[in-house]
Formats: sequence, structure tokens, C-alpha cells
Amino acid sequence: LIGSAQFACDTERRMNGHVKNMHFQQFMETAATLLSLLLLMTVDSTKTVAASTNQQCGNLLQQTLKITRIVHKESGDLIKTYKAAQGEMSELFCKVSVNDIPDPNISGLDPPARIASIYTHLQAFLPHFKRVYKQQTDLQSPGSPLLKELTRVWDRTESLASFINTFYQSLFPNLPIPEPAGGPTTLPPAQNVFQQKVYGCVVLKTYKDFMSNVSKELRNIKSKVCTKRTPINAF
Amino acid sequence: KIISSNIKCQWEAVGHQTEAVPTNYTLKLSSTSFFSDKIFTASILGPVNNTTIDLNFFPNHMELEIWVVAQNELGKEESEHLIKPANCFVKTKPPSVAVISEAVFPTCLVMNWTSINKIYLETIYEIRFCPLGSQKWFYVPLADTSSYIQSFRLQNLQPDTVYVTQVRCKYNKKHCGYWSDWSSNVTERTPEDLPKSKPDVWIITSEEGINKRQIEFICKDPEFSNGRIRRFNITIEKQKDSIRNGTWEIIPVNRSLTDGSSSKKQITPLITILLDDEESVTVYVTAINSVGASPQAKLIISPKTRGKCPLEKMEVQSHNGQLFLSWKPPNRTVSDFEYVVEWVSDGERNWQREDGKTTYTAIKGDLEKFVHYRISVYPIYGKLVGKPVHVHAYFEQGVPSQGPSVNLSGDPGCYTAKLEWDEIPLIKRRGFITNYTIYYRSGTETRGITVPSNTTSYTLTSLSRNTKYDIWIKASTIRGSVNGSNHSFTTLKYAPGEIEGIVVGVSLGFLFVVLMTMLLCFCKKDVIKDNFWPQIPNPGDSTIGNWSPDYPLKAEAPRENCLSGISVLNVDVCDAKCVFEEDKASLPLKKDKYLSEEHSSGIGGSSCMSSPRQSVSDSDEGGDMADTTASTIQYSSVVASSGYKGQNPSSLPQQSIFSRSESTQPLLDCEENHDTMVQEGSRQCFLRQPCFTHNAGNENATDSNDFNPLEMEQQEVLDFCSLEEDTEHTAPADCQSDDWIPAPVSSYMPQLGGYRPQ
Repeated sequence: LIGSAQFACDTERRMNGHVKNMHFQQFMETAATLLSLLLLMTVDSTKTVAASTNQQCGNLLQQTLKITRIVHKESGDLIKTYKAAQGEMSELFCKVSVNDIPDPNISGLDPPARIASIYTHLQAFLPHFKRVYKQQTDLQSPGSPLLKELTRVWDRTESLASFINTFYQSLFPNLPIPEPAGGPTTLPPAQNVFQQKVYGCVVLKTYKDFMSNVSKELRNIKSKVCTKRTPINAF
Repeated sequence: KIISSNIKCQWEAVGHQTEAVPTNYTLKLSSTSFFSDKIFTASILGPVNNTTIDLNFFPNHMELEIWVVAQNELGKEESEHLIKPANCFVKTKPPSVAVISEAVFPTCLVMNWTSINKIYLETIYEIRFCPLGSQKWFYVPLADTSSYIQSFRLQNLQPDTVYVTQVRCKYNKKHCGYWSDWSSNVTERTPEDLPKSKPDVWIITSEEGINKRQIEFICKDPEFSNGRIRRFNITIEKQKDSIRNGTWEIIPVNRSLTDGSSSKKQITPLITILLDDEESVTVYVTAINSVGASPQAKLIISPKTRGKCPLEKMEVQSHNGQLFLSWKPPNRTVSDFEYVVEWVSDGERNWQREDGKTTYTAIKGDLEKFVHYRISVYPIYGKLVGKPVHVHAYFEQGVPSQGPSVNLSGDPGCYTAKLEWDEIPLIKRRGFITNYTIYYRSGTETRGITVPSNTTSYTLTSLSRNTKYDIWIKASTIRGSVNGSNHSFTTLKYAPGEIEGIVVGVSLGFLFVVLMTMLLCFCKKDVIKDNFWPQIPNPGDSTIGNWSPDYPLKAEAPRENCLSGISVLNVDVCDAKCVFEEDKASLPLKKDKYLSEEHSSGIGGSSCMSSPRQSVSDSDEGGDMADTTASTIQYSSVVASSGYKGQNPSSLPQQSIFSRSESTQPLLDCEENHDTMVQEGSRQCFLRQPCFTHNAGNENATDSNDFNPLEMEQQEVLDFCSLEEDTEHTAPADCQSDDWIPAPVSSYMPQLGGYRPQ
């Protein structure tokens, strides 16, 4: 606006004393004024859109955060149920180190990368949930509450991953969400009962830690991703 | 707690349905936010209109789309799609509530509860509470509980009161979710606190002797007791000393723990004192609970004679299940002025206080039907009890439960009977008696008499004598009547004095008759005497006189046992008695026998009454013997010959001169009963005279030892047969008998021969 106003003044100075084409000058002035007004209106509308978009972003983020908390809580309850179902020395199972378990930490430098990391980690845990469920089906009775809880956490993890995907795409429509690196998840080789028990405990514990990290991350990125400079398509 | 993964859906079929074309309903559920394009379905055949979908887990915070597809042979139709967050379809279970009280906060209760975890469903709550027993709930404003809270403090409650509390919850989103059911009742009592109001002190006054009254102080718990009252402290201050000299007396209260739902306050008796009518006392009372003492209540009892002006125009009316009072206030009042309305029945007493401006109120206590109440309104002038006004009333009247028992007062009369009855006991009266109706029935006729209600006796009149009556009394109120017990009585046949009157009358009449008869007898005693007791001259007193009979007489041979040797005597009756007495001295007679005969004959007296008369023999002129010897009767004749002694009956003078003896002796009975004597056929020879030994019927007649020879001779001489007085004298055949035949005491044989009654 200032630039256009400056340009109009310069033009008028050059025209002082010389009335060559007064009509053109008047037309240009009017045009400039109109253009300024249009620009103002555009900026204003952008703010409104940005405000409503921010609210939607915030709601979506809030929703994601709530689901994450549920999963986090249920993962903690699941570990208790798991340990109770494994018999003696179950407290020691979760302290054993097991390979090929997804990392509970979130990677990435910027919000899009970190949200993508959350998604890929969730996807990476799903095969392990499936394996643990299968192993515990052999070790537990059919009506064991552990199996039911495992199923619930597994399904909720799937839904969370889908929700994260939707959230990512709504925030970053032009950025495809990456798939887990390194191809499909690598599962450990066949295990004996003890190993199965250890494996299951480590998977669940790692998942619980991961969900804790996800909750923290989502709380931190709210101010970063749900701002006016970040356009969001209507959801 | 988690939310169930089952979602139940219900729909309503629209349009005509028929079993011929069944409809299949398919419930569909999807969520684009997490299930991608996956759709959950559940099918069911109509006419069932609900089904359930199991999602394995409840998709909290995710949006769901739910719809129903109806399909039959004719086509398919979809319902509207419900698109809402999943939590909007949740109906939570009620929270689990616990309530605690804190001693430091007697007006508070803290409610704690547990509900679903906030991460699943953030809920809001609604709380309500009420005192135990009350049906009115108090709701906590929703604004105070519209957040995810797990506890709440109820405030401004009444101390020492049990409250019932409930909580329910819902998803914390406007127009979304379903309220849960109310939680189960949880009760808790608030702690006790200091009493906030004064105890309600009142009095019961009764007369106790002359110029004395007994005053019993009673008390109700303060309106805001804030706890169980354990005791009352009372002090009495007498005004005469104008100094406060009362000491506090503790009155313990023995009462079980009562809950706050009891609206009827118990009355505690405090203390009873005797007070002179001229005395005045002030009473101070405080109520004590576990926390402390209440404000002090004060009551002043004024001297009896200095009572203030009473209230006027007090009226009672029962209306809409309440008893209303109205009265005219007194002319003068004070700033601290109020009324006490008291109602007393048999065994119950209660009162309530009213503001000084009130003149119309309803009794707030529980009044019983058919119970008599004495309602009083006392003006209280600055704690000073004034003179009351009383009225009697029934909350509701009824028919008396028993009728009056009637009895007779005394004995019934012939035409009247006095009845009396007792009033029906107050407890059985059940209403104001408007009147009594007395019924009395004899036979089939029944009559009734109505008398006022203040009557307890009545005299029935116009009854029939000697008639049985059944009586009973009917008592009436405005609600109806009841008959009392029957009583029967029979009127007298005769009036109480009637028989006596009759007897007295008859007796008086008889007495009058007797008196008149006696008077007549007295007046005509001579006539009677002549008729009944003719004078029979005593031969012993007679003198021989000459008598010429009017007709020739046959000379009869004197019979041995007849008139032979009869001497004619002139004897005065009274002289005869003297002669008798002389003879008595000279003649060795048995006195007793003689006197007895004299008494038995009873003639001596009467004969003594006759005037002395001269015998016929003394009177040569003859004259009218009857005149001169009116009362003398000749009972013997003497044949004049050579003398009467030892005359020889065989010689009969050709011309006899009879000397007739006259005597005033009355006639003997056999002269009266001559026929009887003849019929008996016995000759009864006896003497009947007062001065002579009566040997008729005398058993001792044969005992000659007891008789004087002269007497015996006289007896011989005087032995004669009874003859009829006016008839020809013929000697009964029996007289021929030589033997003396005992004759009845009172009869004798009339003399033979003619004689002319004097």
C-alpha cells in the first residue's frame, strides 16, 4: 500500500507543471485507490480464514491428543494385565533387552517430520502387537482379559495411526506422509515361551514409552502447526 | 471404567408395514477419521426396530456416521445419517457416591464420587439432596457442577440432620450425550451445632387450695436445636425480693436419638411450683446439646388478680382439613407482644406461638377427629402471660360412640317416673351434644320427648299405673344420633300413700262406726240392756210379796227339781251386790270361784248400773209392775202357803197367792235361746246372777264341800228349768231329770210359770 502510494506521489511530482494527460492520471489514481482497498480486503479475509483454520487445527490436534492419551493409558493398563498373566518373575521380563523392537523416540527436525515419525512408529508397532497377540493366545486361556486388552490396544493403535495420517494430510496436504523406512517391520525369529514372555513385555513397555513421547510431542507442536501462516484446507 | 464397544441403535418404522412383505433393517456405522472406508453393519428383520453393533473398542473422540437401511421386496430406503462424535452416543452409568461430614463444618456435607475416566469421556454432573423423609429435592445449580469434578461440598444445610444425596453425569458437550440414571441414595447426618433459637417454654396452671395455684413449667426444644437436646437449665426468680435469687436447676432429658424427619417436637416437663395468687415469678430456661447452650428463654407469671384484659370474640372454624381461630386483639399491647395458642385434649397438650399482629391463624399441630379440644389464646405482653380466652371445639365431629345410660331416680309412681342419666364421657362423645331424646314404650306405643343438651334428668308424667315401660335415651350431635341402653320399670299399682289412705280411711270409718255404735249403745243402753240382759232378780235378795196373777193359775205340783222352795227376795241390784258381799263374808264360798262367776257373767256390772227398784212384793198396790220394776224381771214365783221352806209340793192350794219375787237380775241367756235349749233336749239348770254362785257348767258344782249349805239350799231352791219367755210355760221334759246338767256359763233356763215382764 505504501509502495503504491509512493509510486502515485512520484508520478504526480513528475507531472507537476505539466498537464499532459490529466484524465489518465485521474484514472490511475482511482485505480490505485481501488487496488489498495482490494488488497486490504484480501488480507482481512485471509486473517479470518486463518483464524478459523487455526481453530480447526487446534480441535483436530486436541482430538488427536485425547486419543493418544487414551492409548497411552490403556498401554499402561495392558502392561499390568500382561505381567499379572505371565506368572512369577514377570517384573524382570520387561528389563531384558530385545532386538528388533521399534524405537520409542520420535525422530525429525520439523513438525511435519515429527508427525510423520509418529505415524511410521505406530505402523511399525502393529506387526509386533499382532505377534504378541498370537503368542499369548497360545499361552493364555481363551477368555483371558489380556487377549481382550491386547485386541483393544491393537485396534486403537490402528485407529490412532489412521487419525495421525488424516491430521498430517490436513496440515500438510502437499507433503506425502512417508512410509516406515527399511521396508516391512522385521520381527525376531521363533522364540520359546520364556522368550515370548520377555518379548511381549518389552514390546508393550516400549509402546507405552512411545505413547508417552507422542503425548508430549503433540502438546509441543500445537503452537507450531496450528498458526496463521500455515494454511489448512477445510477439513 | 471404559465405555462398552457395543452401540445399540433404535429406529422407528414409518408407513404401513405388513408381515406379508417383511422388511430387513441394516444398521450401518462408519468413521472416516479412523476406520478409513470400513463400514460396520448389523442386520435384523422387522418388525424389530433395534439392534447392536460391536466395534471391538469404543472410538472415543472420533466422529461416527450411523444410519439404517430398510429393504424389502419392493425396494430400499435409507434413514437420515447421524453424524456425531462417538461420545455423543454414550449414556454413562451413574457415579459411585460417598458422603462424609466434618465436625468443624456442621452445615456442610462433602460428596465424593467416581465416574468414567476423563480421557474417555469428560462428564458434567448434576447433584440433588433432601432431608430424610422429605419428598422435596433440592438441586445444585448445574453451573456449579458443569465440569469434570469428583467431589462437591453441600453447604447451608441444617445441623444434626440426615440428608439423602444423589448424583448423575453426562458427556460434557452441549446437546450431546445422555444423562445417566441417578445414583443410589446415600445418607449422612450433618454434625451438631450450637442451638440457634430459644426453647419454647410454657405453663400448665391448676388451682391448689385457696389463694394458691400450682404451676408446672413445660418446654419444647428450640426450633433450631441443631442437635439432640440433652438437658434444660432452669432458674426461677421470685419478684417479691426484687433481687435475682434463683439458682440454676438442671433438668436432664431422657430421649432417644431422633432423626431430623420428625416434625412433632416432644414436650419436656421441667419443674412444678406452688405460687400464691398474689405472687409473681420469672423463669429463665436454656437448652443444652453436645456443643453448647441455646439463647435464654424468659417467661413471667403475673399475679392472678392483676391479669390484663382478655381477648374477645374468639371463634373456631374447621375448614380444608384445618382448624382456624380468630379473635379480637386487646386494646392495649406492648412492643414485644405475641400470642400463644394452646390446645388441650384428653392426654394431649400442645401450643404454638403467633406474632402479635396475628388475629387469624390455623392450628399447626396434628388434630385428631372426634376428639374434644379446649383451645385457649393467651396474650403475652413482653414475656408476661396475660389472661386467656377459651373455647371448646372439635376438629371434626362425629356420632357418639355410646349413648347415655338412663336410670330411675327413686321409685316410680303410679303416673310419674323420674329419670336421670349421666353425660356421655368426653372421650366417647365425639361431638357437641345438641339434644337428648327420651323414648318410653309400653306395649307397642312409643313416645319421645326432646330435651336440651344441658339436661340430665326428667320426670315422665301421664303414665299408666301398673304398666311396664321400656325407656332409652338418644343423644344427638350434628353428625347423627346414638341410642343408649334400655331400662325397664313398672309403675305402681297403688300410690305409696294410697293403700295407707284406704286403710286409714277404712279404719277411720270403721272406728267411726264403732264409735257411733258405742254411742248409740250408750244412749240406748237401757234398751239394749233390757233386750239383751234382762234383769233377773236375785232370789237371795227377794222378799216375799203378794201377787195376784191376772189369770188363774194352775197350781202345779212343784217338781222336785223345779221351782220348789223358791224364796222371793226383794233385792236391789246394787244391794244385791252388797248382800253378796255380806254373804260373801258369812258364806264360806270360794272367793275365786265366786268372783270368777261374777266376772264371767259380766252381768254384775250392768246389773249394778240399773237403778234400784222395788220388788213387786213390796208393792201391794200392784200398780204397774213394769214401771216400778222396769228393769226387774221376775224369775221366780212362790207358792204362798205355809212358807216357802220345806213346802210340800204335793199339797196344792186351791187358791194360791203367789208371791213373786222380783229381781233386777237380767235375763239369762237360755231365756234368749229357749229354742236351742229345747232342741237340745236337755235341761239346763243353773243360776245366772251376779251375786250368786253360778253353777252352770261349773264342774265344781258337784263338789259340795266348797259350798255353803245355805248356798246349796239356795241352789236347790233356785233350781228351775228354762222356759220360753212369752210362751206358755211348759217344762221341758228334760227338766224332769233329777240331775243337774251343767249348762253353759252364760245361759240359764227361764223360769217356769208365767210372769209378766216388768
